[in-house]
Amino acid sequence: MNLVNDILAHVNFIGAMALFVIGLYMVVTHSNLIKRIMGINIMGTAIFYFFIAVGNVEDGAPPLLDPDGNALTFINPLPSVLILTGIVVVVSITVYSLSLVVRIYETYGTIDQKEMAQIEAEDDD
Amino acid sequence: MIEQLPIINLILLLTTALVIPLFKKQRFMVTLILSFVVLFIVWLSALYLLYHVNTTGAFYYRFGGYSPTIGLELLINPFSALFTFFVITLLMIIFIYSTADASDGIHEREYGRYYILMFILLFAMFGIIYTNDLFNTYVFMEILSITTCAIISIKRKKKNYAAAFRYVMLNEMGSLSYLFGVALLYMVTGYTNIELVFQGVQDVWVIYPTNIIIAAIFMIVGLGLKAAIFPLHIWLPDAHSAAPSSSSAILSAIVVKVYLIILVKVLFSVFGITIIEALHIPSLLMVIGAVGIVMGSFFAIAQHDIKRMLGYSSVAQIGYIVLGIGLASSLGLRIAFYHVFSHGIMKSVLFLSVGAVIYQRNLRKVTAYNGIGYMMPLSIGMFTLAALGMIGIPLTSGFISKFNLGIAALDGGQGIYIIILVVSGILNAIYYLPIIIAAFLRENPENQIYVSKDKVPLLMIMPILILGAFIVIIGVYPAIIFDLVDSAVSTFSF
Repeated sequence: MNLVNDILAHVNFIGAMALFVIGLYMVVTHSNLIKRIMGINIMGTAIFYFFIAVGNVEDGAPPLLDPDGNALTFINPLPSVLILTGIVVVVSITVYSLSLVVRIYETYGTIDQKEMAQIEAEDDD
Repeated sequence: MIEQLPIINLILLLTTALVIPLFKKQRFMVTLILSFVVLFIVWLSALYLLYHVNTTGAFYYRFGGYSPTIGLELLINPFSALFTFFVITLLMIIFIYSTADASDGIHEREYGRYYILMFILLFAMFGIIYTNDLFNTYVFMEILSITTCAIISIKRKKKNYAAAFRYVMLNEMGSLSYLFGVALLYMVTGYTNIELVFQGVQDVWVIYPTNIIIAAIFMIVGLGLKAAIFPLHIWLPDAHSAAPSSSSAILSAIVVKVYLIILVKVLFSVFGITIIEALHIPSLLMVIGAVGIVMGSFFAIAQHDIKRMLGYSSVAQIGYIVLGIGLASSLGLRIAFYHVFSHGIMKSVLFLSVGAVIYQRNLRKVTAYNGIGYMMPLSIGMFTLAALGMIGIPLTSGFISKFNLGIAALDGGQGIYIIILVVSGILNAIYYLPIIIAAFLRENPENQIYVSKDKVPLLMIMPILILGAFIVIIGVYPAIIFDLVDSAVSTFSF
């Protein structure tokens, strides 16, 4: 039972770690460039999830001005604010790499890493 | 007023990047003059800051006056002032070169865009060096990686797109690993400010070692990926050889160093010497550095394309800096910083002089350099000087680096690394000397035919000569640099 409780207590962190590894796996193993960009996005999401989970306080109220003054504990708002910046950054990286994929498709005629390597090898000869 | 200078620098660089597109309709000269004036103003202010911190001491710039627990701050100490000065000086000299050689594969319509990228690049590097906040470092790091990729893919060639894509993927993996490390540190300390995190980490090291160990691994691997430390260097040769000559110099001489600077900050200011020694990170870094020195040189020997060869040579030289950092003593760090300067200058000279050869004769093959020394005496002469520096001949800055690195290794009881230094000197000679010998001693009348431009413009030769002079000056009077470096090292506690 102890193990189950441990897992339940840290399910957010375990989930974030699993997402990170899935994303990493996609980036490293897939040869389709779009899928690799998706992998980067999943990795990013994993970290955002982790950050927000760190800021969560059990039974905490949303950190808003409370007219009744009932709430005793608040959720830490700082990680969420940091993540807003992080999301913007990852979106811009995604946009840049997708535009790069468009250029690659125009010049190589493919978006597959292996076929690209073949074309490059033929060019060198 | 002086307290405002760092932020004025940052704003000036960013606004220039935004203003350049407005001059699209004007003559291109207007952009160049404006860029140079801005670079010169920033250079003056960086020089003044360097003087100021070394005489009156470090200071903080707090955004909006918030306390560091909730706000962002910039830290201007001898360390950050020295490296911003290094970055801006080298970039200004490379800028002069690029004004004459922007034609290297870039579409004429896009010259302006190249300088936009250059200014954003500079802005991000200044931000990274000044900032005293881990998350802020991440944001600047991402700005830097997008701009570096863009500066590679600005050349409309197949290879550039492929190299830029590989670079962006690996870079992004690196940044996200770093961010994960920041998240883990935030989890146990509750801050992202470097000094507060340092305090927190020392306090909770005993209670939550797992978090700190995993954070250290993530951050070091992530930064290692971005700084092309040996087993993680695979993107570097493609990216650096595909970029236009002046950007190759910027990427190899400056951008990679900025990531190493973050690594130094993370190791010694965030975790602190006691924790990283308990985790045996320094000895690991030393081994990685030594393997990188040898393997980078081996790969360089096998290259046919001269710019790829220089790329692999950078991998080897990064090994020296990592070795110096890994010694984890003030002597080691001192020489690592010195080598940042020395390699930055030498590698710029190599890339720029090769750029001049490519500009005039379009020769990229290592074997095609026969007899070229008589046709382009100045460029190839400076190439020779820098190559001798890489090998470590006395009177050049490369010799001072190697000699002092050897002393630092002996002082740290790591005498075995002296063998690595000697071997690497020989390996460097194996791939640099044949080019020099071929250029000056072999005859090849065929090369006369390939001339595509009559003369290399003076604006291209001058920066190469200035940098070449620096190699000798800091090789003969290393004290100029060492005085500054020593005060930078003293900001880290050992």
